[in-house]
Amino acid sequence: MMQRVSTRWIALLVLVALILPNVITLAQDNVVTIEWWTVNSEEYSEEAQRGLAAQFEATHPNIRVNVTVLPESGFDERMTTTLGAGEGAPDVAFFWNTNWYPQALDLTPYIEADPDLGPETYFENFWLTRAVWQDKIVGLPLGVGANFVMYNKAVFDEAGVEYPTADWTTDDYLEMAAALADPDQRRWGGDRPRGPFRAIWRNYGAFPYSDDSTTVDGFLNSDASVAAYTWLWDLVASGATPTPADLEILGTEGTGPIDLFLAGRLAMATLNQGHMLNAIDAGVEFGIVPEPQVEGNERYVNAWSLTASIWSGTQHPDEAYEFLSYWVGPEGQRYLMENGNLFPSIPEVLAEYENAETDYAQAFFSVLEYRQVAEWTNAHPCNSTVLRAAVDAWDLINLGEIERDQVEATLDGLVEPSQAALDECVARLGG
Amino acid sequence: MFSTWRALSPRARREALEAYLALTPWIIGFLIFTVFPIGASIYLGFTQWTIVEPPEWIGLDNYVRMFTRDPLFWQALKVTGLFVLISLPLKLILGLMLALLLNLKIPGMNLYRTVFYIPAVISGVAVSLMWMWLLQPDTGVVNTLLSYIGVKGPNWFWDRHWALPSVAIMSAWKVGGSAIIYLAGLQNISAHLYEAAEIDGANPWHRFWKITLPLLTPTIFFQLIIELIDSFKVFTEAFVITQGGPLKSTYFYMLYFYEEAFQNFNMGYASALALLLTSIILATTVFINYTSKRWVYYES
Repeated sequence: MMQRVSTRWIALLVLVALILPNVITLAQDNVVTIEWWTVNSEEYSEEAQRGLAAQFEATHPNIRVNVTVLPESGFDERMTTTLGAGEGAPDVAFFWNTNWYPQALDLTPYIEADPDLGPETYFENFWLTRAVWQDKIVGLPLGVGANFVMYNKAVFDEAGVEYPTADWTTDDYLEMAAALADPDQRRWGGDRPRGPFRAIWRNYGAFPYSDDSTTVDGFLNSDASVAAYTWLWDLVASGATPTPADLEILGTEGTGPIDLFLAGRLAMATLNQGHMLNAIDAGVEFGIVPEPQVEGNERYVNAWSLTASIWSGTQHPDEAYEFLSYWVGPEGQRYLMENGNLFPSIPEVLAEYENAETDYAQAFFSVLEYRQVAEWTNAHPCNSTVLRAAVDAWDLINLGEIERDQVEATLDGLVEPSQAALDECVARLGG
Repeated sequence: MFSTWRALSPRARREALEAYLALTPWIIGFLIFTVFPIGASIYLGFTQWTIVEPPEWIGLDNYVRMFTRDPLFWQALKVTGLFVLISLPLKLILGLMLALLLNLKIPGMNLYRTVFYIPAVISGVAVSLMWMWLLQPDTGVVNTLLSYIGVKGPNWFWDRHWALPSVAIMSAWKVGGSAIIYLAGLQNISAHLYEAAEIDGANPWHRFWKITLPLLTPTIFFQLIIELIDSFKVFTEAFVITQGGPLKSTYFYMLYFYEEAFQNFNMGYASALALLLTSIILATTVFINYTSKRWVYYES
């Protein structure tokens, strides 16, 4: 009797052992795992991103997200090498280097078929600079960032200078900086730009070379460019701005002199939304205005966002899009705003920001509407090569080694090497 | 080779096989991690390659561009050559002087030796940031001290004429490492030579010139080669502090190489640059090695 029972149990166990793996395999066949590589930052912590992945998995039981959080430098190297090798790249990741765009999946058919997500979902100019490349949709823009001028209200009040307004000009900047500077207190009026051909140069209407990437002469040394460099010369000569050595030592890792600003030693500084949060935390009374304009010209902003994309070699493009559109769509960006410091690239979601009604937030939001410096630089990959060849003008002015009336001649002298650099770059990139 | 092998006794053959077997992991590693990358780099120097797309063979174009159409290449080469000329003698002489001091028999010498060696083991980035503070024109320690004696210090890293010497001074601060090697060389010199010279009436200067220096030449030769290679490869200081400026006065070769490779993703050109630098270092080393027969004295 006992032997018969044991035999039955053994037979049952064998049967279960044979069937169970198949059942598990069948169940696993319906679950797709996608690889997501990301980075840890002040805007979206590792914890928030893992939370976002878990929330996505809860609503999408057939998709599992394998999250890999990398340091920023490690992210660059791993993405470049895996994309170069053509294997092992993640299904979904930031494609923040334009060099990687050729390996991004064209999302056009997905966006066209998606009733909930499209160009109209996002800030138009961020879509233009971060999603579209050579008529392809290479990704979706996650978050927004921008440079603007922050002014310290206490310093302005002490100096008896009126606060700047959104319509201020580059001349106003020079006047205010001079009025606010106080050498006795080791206080500067305003900082100097961190490079040429950013927002202020664009506001002057200056570009380093022609739109068709053929000619430097008449652009690098145009009237507009000379005016922008001369404005820099005036600012440096005024003594109202920290020297490059001061900025290097007292600035914060190249992101902007926030420490000097918070300490009240710099009345106006070109900073970003992360610094805005620092100032709020520090309890500093501040205001925000766009970088100064040049009357009669179109106004620009130096702004950015991160392109989140799908690798063209993915085995699961549909599931990858499901996750991408969740992560960079309204739900994901809202989650990262509420659980981190992300400012969403979707106007409707950004409007839900907890301090959206404050003056500083409104000023920041208004800056996001301007035309972006990146629109031109993204479309002109030789920009940095030409600027490297033309860097002497920038250095000479910042070091105070040329006179005001030598600015134009200096730029004229840099046309030839810059043209050579442009020609070489254009040829290298295949025209 | 085969006749040599046949001439070996069975035991010697077994020992040789065992030796090769033990060397195999290193040989495999050497082939994979050294020979292959060097070979790949030589090949890539003849291509245009952006990493994410396959390399395209362009023959000698990278080298033609380098020598005929690239002013930045010449600037980087000039700056690096100048740096080698300034920093190499500085480091060799200071290292030797420091070693002579550290060879004195005074109390607490081990502590001094440790203190002087510390800079050699500190991270290059940390050292760069520290020197950036020390040489800050307005509030830096160096210029503040100079102001006490009525000297207005220069703008150091932020002056086109002083930036390169500033980097050289900074690199000389790390001579503790080479001083330790000189020290080992000094302590190998037999005391009886000094005793004999002293009996013959030689003063300290004569003893240094006629005994110490000649017997230290093998160490000097070694240091010369090592410091030469090190000077050609200078990068961190410029990357952290000056970014090649002002006015490209610290635009070192390795910085240019880095920009081309990892900022512009111009790997083919960067490989050509790397190969050229390797060739320059190799040629200089061979030349120094050739001249060493005339000035390096081996006691044996």
